[in-house]
Amino acid sequence: MAYSMKAQADEDALLREESSLAEESLDLKSAQKHRHLYVSWLVAVALILLWWLVTAVHVFPPLDLPSPLHVAKDIYAISTTGYNGYSLLDNIGASTLRIAVGFFAAVILGVPIGFWMASNTIIFNAIDPVLQFLRPIPPLAYIPLMVLWFGTGQMSKFVLIFFCTIPMIIISAMSGVKSAQESRLRVAQVFGANRRQMFRYITLPSALPEIFTGMRIAIAVAWTCLVAAEMIAAQSGLGAMILTAGNQLRVGVVFVGIIFIGLIGYLMEVVIRTVERRMVPWKGKA
Amino acid sequence: MIAVSEVSKVYPSQVRGGRPLVAVDTVDLTVQDGEFVTVVGPSGCGKTTLLNLLAGFEQPNRGEIRLDDRPVVRPGPERAVVFQQPSLLPWMTVKENIAFGLTLREGTRRVDQIRIASMVETMGLTGFENHRPYQLSGGMQQRVAIARALIIEPRVLLMDEPFGALDAQTRSEMQRFLLSIWGKLHPTVLFVTHDVEEAIMLADRVVVMTPRPGRIADILTVSLARPRQWDLTLSREFNEYKRKILQVLRPPEERDPVRLA
Ligand SMILES: Nc1ncnc2c1ncn2[C@@H]1O[C@H](COP(=O)(O)OP(=O)(O)OP(=O)(O)O)[C@@H](O)[C@H]1O
Ligand SMILES: [Mg+2]
Repeated sequence: MAYSMKAQADEDALLREESSLAEESLDLKSAQKHRHLYVSWLVAVALILLWWLVTAVHVFPPLDLPSPLHVAKDIYAISTTGYNGYSLLDNIGASTLRIAVGFFAAVILGVPIGFWMASNTIIFNAIDPVLQFLRPIPPLAYIPLMVLWFGTGQMSKFVLIFFCTIPMIIISAMSGVKSAQESRLRVAQVFGANRRQMFRYITLPSALPEIFTGMRIAIAVAWTCLVAAEMIAAQSGLGAMILTAGNQLRVGVVFVGIIFIGLIGYLMEVVIRTVERRMVPWKGKA
Repeated sequence: MIAVSEVSKVYPSQVRGGRPLVAVDTVDLTVQDGEFVTVVGPSGCGKTTLLNLLAGFEQPNRGEIRLDDRPVVRPGPERAVVFQQPSLLPWMTVKENIAFGLTLREGTRRVDQIRIASMVETMGLTGFENHRPYQLSGGMQQRVAIARALIIEPRVLLMDEPFGALDAQTRSEMQRFLLSIWGKLHPTVLFVTHDVEEAIMLADRVVVMTPRPGRIADILTVSLARPRQWDLTLSREFNEYKRKILQVLRPPEERDPVRLA
């Protein structure tokens, strides 16, 4: 035979060695990535220092711009005794719950709708105009309607978040389906895939990267909508806290609200990114 | 047996007011069971189009293609394809990619592991079963693609420049490798390439195509003994075949020495 088994075995050993070398260099890369995390911390510290400097030289009067120390004290105070009847944890919990319910409802409904639109022209023609019509309407415009229709309770906030985020989810799912490569669809055709198998093994995994991107954008949008919603009709929540504090000129509390909205938004982004890395490890590589 | 009779494929013009493009023009070809046929020709001469027609991805405008007297109307597992573009599924491991055809046929991911293991070994992929395609070298990726096509035991193996993206050395390794697999399993192979030496090295017969419109210009029977050794390319006989093919593929203006002078 032209291809000797010995040569094959030698080559295997060589390739395995190569691959372990490759893994090593991968480790090196992730180690570098790890080191670069310091940059993020450095920037955070630098920003706080800058903030402190600006307050120390009194660019603004202390009532308009509290110092970092002052805000830290406010955080402590709100965590322990609360503000306006709600503790910091209450407010975080209330806001996070609203985001979570609205956002997950949007994902659970939006992804199938997007898939459906991508696979059926009639459905696309039916839903797309409505979607494009609703998209440019600012969330603030919905608020009076939400209050009229769903009251001032939780429901109106859930529905608002849902409406703000679902267009992005639908569009990302739809364009994700369309990003499935022709050659991969053809592979499945050759092997005689039925519709269900085509979806499960080719279309769905092809769409996942874009769906995750859509989710990451949507979660940030959800926060902007939430604050708008809580500013109109809510007692608890970070947005409500900011509004009340603004009216009472408690700028320190406003800062606490802003900082926690930013931190939780960041945390949610990190969570989605982590899930994404586990579910779509091939992203950007193929 | 594959029978391609008087097949033409015309693509409508891609620009407004332009002329339609004849990608494949009245092609006649029969391939016997177990035969290794290569198709060679310059870029754009319709090689991929011909293969797509055989695979059933596209339908001819004229003529007919039959496999064992049944007309080819859609893709199917009896005609496995190894694509020109990378087509492994990055969301699956090497093992899962190889098993893909079986998974679809049997409707479950729990397929014959012994068969897959032996294919992995035959393909020299031992130790890489759980790697992802993008963690492999180009040559190994092509071996996975070939394994994926072979494991379902197709009647015909359609290969579209499978080694086109590889360096010269890996390519010649892969050629020997393919020949050894073919020697064992003897599938019918239609192998597209733009490399004349590769076409001769592998084939029982070489189909030479020329572009605009895509036509078969010549079919050569290669009667070089098998197994073929690496130094075959240096032999006189081999170069005789090479000369014949290059003569057909030579650009038209050079055929006329008067115009050159
Ligand atoms: N889907 C298509 N629509 C329109 N024109 C096409 C299409 N596919 C191929 N063609 C045209 O048909 C001709 C033959 O293309 P084909 O891909 O078969 O060439 P090829 O011989 O495989 O070339 P290469 O060696 O570069 O892969 C080309 O001129 C190409 O532009
Ligand atoms: Mg081609």
